Amino acid sequence: MKKYWAIFKLQLANGFAYPGEFLGRSLMILPFMWVFYQLWRVTFAASGSEVINGLTLRSTLWYLVIAEVIELSRPRVGNTISDAVKDGSIAYILNKPYHFLGYHYSVSMADTVFRALINFVLGGAMAWLLVGPPPSFWGLLVVLPALLASWALHYCVAALIGLLAFWVEDVSAFQWIYQKLAFILGGLLIPLDFYPTWLRTIANALPFSSMTYVPARLFVEPSLMAFLTSLALQAIWLLVFVGGLSLLYRRGESALTVNGG
Amino acid sequence: MLSHIKFLLALWKANLQSAMEYRISFLLQVFGMIANNAMYFLIWVIFFDRFKDVRGWGLGDMYVTFGVAASAFGLVSILFGNAFLLGDMITRGRLDYYLSLPRPVLLHALASRMVASGMGDFLYGFLSFAVSGSFSWGGLLRFVLAVVLAAMVFGAFLVLVQSLTFWIGSSSNLLQLAVNAMITFAIYPITLFDRAAKLILFTVIPAALMGTVPAEFARQFTWQTLAEMLLGAVVFVGLAVGLFQLGLRRYESGSAIQTEV
Repeated sequence: MKKYWAIFKLQLANGFAYPGEFLGRSLMILPFMWVFYQLWRVTFAASGSEVINGLTLRSTLWYLVIAEVIELSRPRVGNTISDAVKDGSIAYILNKPYHFLGYHYSVSMADTVFRALINFVLGGAMAWLLVGPPPSFWGLLVVLPALLASWALHYCVAALIGLLAFWVEDVSAFQWIYQKLAFILGGLLIPLDFYPTWLRTIANALPFSSMTYVPARLFVEPSLMAFLTSLALQAIWLLVFVGGLSLLYRRGESALTVNGG
Repeated sequence: MLSHIKFLLALWKANLQSAMEYRISFLLQVFGMIANNAMYFLIWVIFFDRFKDVRGWGLGDMYVTFGVAASAFGLVSILFGNAFLLGDMITRGRLDYYLSLPRPVLLHALASRMVASGMGDFLYGFLSFAVSGSFSWGGLLRFVLAVVLAAMVFGAFLVLVQSLTFWIGSSSNLLQLAVNAMITFAIYPITLFDRAAKLILFTVIPAALMGTVPAEFARQFTWQTLAEMLLGAVVFVGLAVGLFQLGLRRYESGSAIQTEV
């Protein structure tokens, strides 16, 4: 574990070396939050009610802050891994004293944590300005483990897609579809509370809700029960995905052919 | 003028042949993007199923608006794929190649690349219009004209933002922010925004000229929307070409030897 922690710290230091670069990339959360505020302000006003399906305008906007922080900061290793497989550079990591997937996890999580901090500060400041402080400050504390589990799940799926490059030329179509599934079934743009019951049932039975909805909802309505349920659900999905990822990696490794170099 | 058109047609033909060299990958990108857009649009289907309308805007309006914006984005990606990479080309000194040839530099540089997935965006827009409930043969002609003019505004906006590279050095973060803001605002109901915001959406980030205005024109002919689109396209293309030419005087490169393939 020590070596992965060292890789994580090294990559985190890289991020601090170019804060302007990360800040520039994170600015896009501002127009997103502003347009979400406009949409939900009008929607709540039109409904004539301060609470819709258990959410107020304030909790909806803070839910969206966390959802956007997860999405905009999540590990994007699909292309990195598929490029390493396609151009053969995977061979340079295979002979190092660390695991290929562990190495990429450490690197991508360092980037994720750094980006998340900036995104949360910017998005949170915007939401605070528009609707006031978060519904509960306890949410900040309990959401941290849920966020880490969410990004670990995202990493597993992104790595699974990247590893498909062992068998297919271009994995971008898989990435688009995964991203959109995470948008819809994860409740990225609309909280799952506003979905029709049948769709909410489907979404809750799939892993995408554990990636976005579960942590974001926990943030706006924290409780011990919600905290334990969320983590248990995420742990189950993590076990499934880590198992799938190891299996696919072993099969891909045996299919690997690198010519020259 | 005629020779420029012949030159452009030859470039586009070569780009298409190049993209279709890997037939399966090309088809995967096209149909993957159609599926990607359809899945993204489900968000609006869910939203309007729950909330019915936003200040008079319904799902039918969203189909047309999303359709125009998707096709305009796709048209720029197909015909002027380098419009997304212009800033990078300026930074890396990759305009040398185009400067050494007897063709208009900007036109040649922009049209030298085709983004295959753009074909999926372009086709999806027409599908979206077809199922919007506003379809008619006259409407289809207006839709085509609206897409062309919206694409001119979008392409010009990309050139404008990236031409700033001549002065500020690197515009990759700015481009990312500008493109995201443009697309986000283009596919949200204009009725959400107040007067000041609308002014911004016609000028600084001309998203209204890529979404709402052309969509209104496709649904119903009015001289006002036609005039707004024509004026917007002429002004933004003029500004983009002017700023690029002005910036080109400041262009410097290391005279690196590069091969354009």
